Amino acid sequence: MNPCSIATPQQDTEGDGRWNSIHNRFLSDAKGKDADVIFLGDSILQALEHTEVWNQWFAPLHCLNFSIHRDQTQNVLWRIRNGELDHVDPKVIVLHVGTNNVEYTAEHICEGILEIIHTIQEKHPNVYIVIPSLLPRGQHPNLLREKNSKINQLLKEKVVHMKKVDMVFIDKGFIQSDGTISHHDMHDYLIPTNAACRKAFEPVHDLLHQILSEGEPEKDLTPSE
Amino acid sequence: MKEIAQCFETVNKAIADYLGSNGYTDALEAFKKEADMTGEMDRKFGGLLEKKWTSVIRLQKKVMELESKLSEAQKEFIEGAPTRAKRTPTEWIPRPPEKFSLTGHRATITKVIFHPVFSLLVSSSEDATIKVWDFENGDFERTLKGHTDSVQDIAFDHSGKLLVSCSADMSIKLWDFNQTFECVKTMHGHDHNVSSVSFSPSGDIVYSASRDKTIKAWEVATGYCVKTYKGHREWVRMVRVSADGGLLASCSNDQTVRIWNADTNECKMELREHEHVVECVSWAPESAAAAVNEAAGGDNRRANHVGPFLASGSRDKSVKIWDVSTGVCLATLVGHDNWVRGAVWHPGGRYLLTASDDKTLRVWDVAHTRCLKTLYAHQHFATSLDFHKNLPYVISGSVDQTVKVWECR
Repeated sequence: MNPCSIATPQQDTEGDGRWNSIHNRFLSDAKGKDADVIFLGDSILQALEHTEVWNQWFAPLHCLNFSIHRDQTQNVLWRIRNGELDHVDPKVIVLHVGTNNVEYTAEHICEGILEIIHTIQEKHPNVYIVIPSLLPRGQHPNLLREKNSKINQLLKEKVVHMKKVDMVFIDKGFIQSDGTISHHDMHDYLIPTNAACRKAFEPVHDLLHQILSEGEPEKDLTPSE
Repeated sequence: MKEIAQCFETVNKAIADYLGSNGYTDALEAFKKEADMTGEMDRKFGGLLEKKWTSVIRLQKKVMELESKLSEAQKEFIEGAPTRAKRTPTEWIPRPPEKFSLTGHRATITKVIFHPVFSLLVSSSEDATIKVWDFENGDFERTLKGHTDSVQDIAFDHSGKLLVSCSADMSIKLWDFNQTFECVKTMHGHDHNVSSVSFSPSGDIVYSASRDKTIKAWEVATGYCVKTYKGHREWVRMVRVSADGGLLASCSNDQTVRIWNADTNECKMELREHEHVVECVSWAPESAAAAVNEAAGGDNRRANHVGPFLASGSRDKSVKIWDVSTGVCLATLVGHDNWVRGAVWHPGGRYLLTASDDKTLRVWDVAHTRCLKTLYAHQHFATSLDFHKNLPYVISGSVDQTVKVWECR
C-alpha cells in the first residue's frame, strides 16, 4: 500500500496536541462561516494567510484557510475524511500539499494528491479544484527540488483531462541563473516571502476571480474621459 | 528606434516562453526560427505574457476606482459639506474621516447599535463578548461576558433598560442596562446558532431568528418561548419588527424575505427577487414614504404606494426596497462590489445607509436610486452599521475588529 494515500493524522511528536486543536478549530469554523473558497494544504498555504497578499487579494473573496504547517498528503486526507469539508459549500477549493512528504517517491506523492482530489470530488461534485504547483525548495539544487518538479509533471498529466480541476504553475522565477534560490524569495528556502507570494499567487488569484465572477454581467472597464 | 527594437524582442521572448511552458514545442521551434532567436531563455520572461494579459484589466479597474475617489473628493472640495452650524437633521450624512476608531475586541465585530437614551454604543463580537463605549468621547466603558461562542446580534428595548443578545452558543441572554449590567435571564430553545434578535415596540416580547430555520417569540417577563414561526427553508439571518409591532420581516439563506403576522405566526408574504442569501432587512420610517414613492414613480410621476416599506440587502450585492402591503419590489440599489451585510435608514427618510464586504459604507439617495456617498470605512469587511435617531452620528463595525464612530454634517 502507498502510505501517501492512506488517511493518517499527523503524529504529535512535540506532545502539545496542537495539530488536533487546529483540526477542531477548522471543524467549528466550517460550521459557522459560509466560505466561497477554501484553501486546503500545508505550510505554504498556511504562511500565505499571514501575508499582505492574503488580506488584499484573498480575504475579500470570502475564504477559509484549512492549512497546517508540515502537513503531508495523508494528513490532509485524514482531515477531509474527518469532517473539515462536511458543513461547507465552497465554489472553489485551492489545494497545495506534497512538499512535506520528503521520504516518499514522486509517484506515491502524486497518487496521494489524486486521492485527495477524488475525496473532495466525492463530497463536493460541483466544486472547482485549483492546484498551485509545488514550489522548488532548498538554496542549492537538491533531490527534493527535482522530486517536486517531477510531481508537478506527473500531476499535470493526470489532471489535464479532469473536469473542473485546474493546475496553476506558480513555481517559475524562483531559481536564479546560478541555480540558487534567494532568501529574498524564500526566507528559509522553503516558504515564500510576502513579495514572492505576490509574484507566485497572482495567477491563482486571477483564476479564482475568474471562476467566482462567472455568470455575472461584465463590467465596463473602459476608463471614462 | 533602439527602444522599439528592444520592446519587440521582449514581446518575442514572452511569446516564446508562453509557447515553451505550455508544451507547444513545434510552434516554438518554428517561431524561434522565424523570429531569429537564439540561446537560452532568461527567467525574467517566465509567465510574462499571461501577466501582461491580466494586468491591463487590473490596472483599468484600479484607474476606475481612483477616478471615482477623485471625483468624490473634488465634489466635496467644490460644493463643500455643510459646516457644523448649518447642518440639518434631515440631511446630515456621515463624512470622513472617522471621529473615533475603537479597538479592544479580539475578533470580528458582528453588530453595533446605539443606546436609545444615553451617549453609549454597544458592540458584539465573535470573541463572545459585548462591549459598551461612549461615542461622544470615545471611552471604553465595560465588557459584558457570559456567552461562550460568537455573539451574533444585540438589541435594546425602547427604554434602553434591557439589552438582548444572541449567540452561536444557541442561547439568548437579557442584560440589565439600568444598574447592574449583569445577565438577568438566559433563554434556550433553538437547535442551532441564533443569528438575530429584536424587541417588540412594547418591550414585552423578544423575537429571535436561527440557523435551525425558525423564528421564535419569547416572553420577556417569564423567559418562555410563546410562538414559533416556521416556513424558511434555510438559515434565517435576521428578524426585525415593524414600528407598530404587527409585522415581522425576516431574511434567509433560502434567498427570500418573508413577512409574518407577529400575533398569529402566519407567513403573509414571501418576497423573492434576490439571487443570493439575503443578509439584512430594515423597516423604513414613515418619513421615507415620499422618497420611496418618488423612486418607484419614474418619468416625473410620483407613485402612490402606502407601505409599510422595507429595505433588504443581499450577497447578490444589491439592496432592494419593497412595498410590504403589495409585495412589490419598488427599487433596486446597485453599486456595492461585494456582499451587502447591513442596512439602516436615515431618520430623515431620504437616505438609506448600507455596510458591505467591499469595506465601504454607502449613503443612497433613495428618491433617485443612486449612491450619494461612499465611505472607505474599514480595512476588512464592514459587517454592521447604525444611525443615531436624533444626534449626528453613525457607527460601523468590521471584520478588522474595529468599531468606528462617524460624525454627520
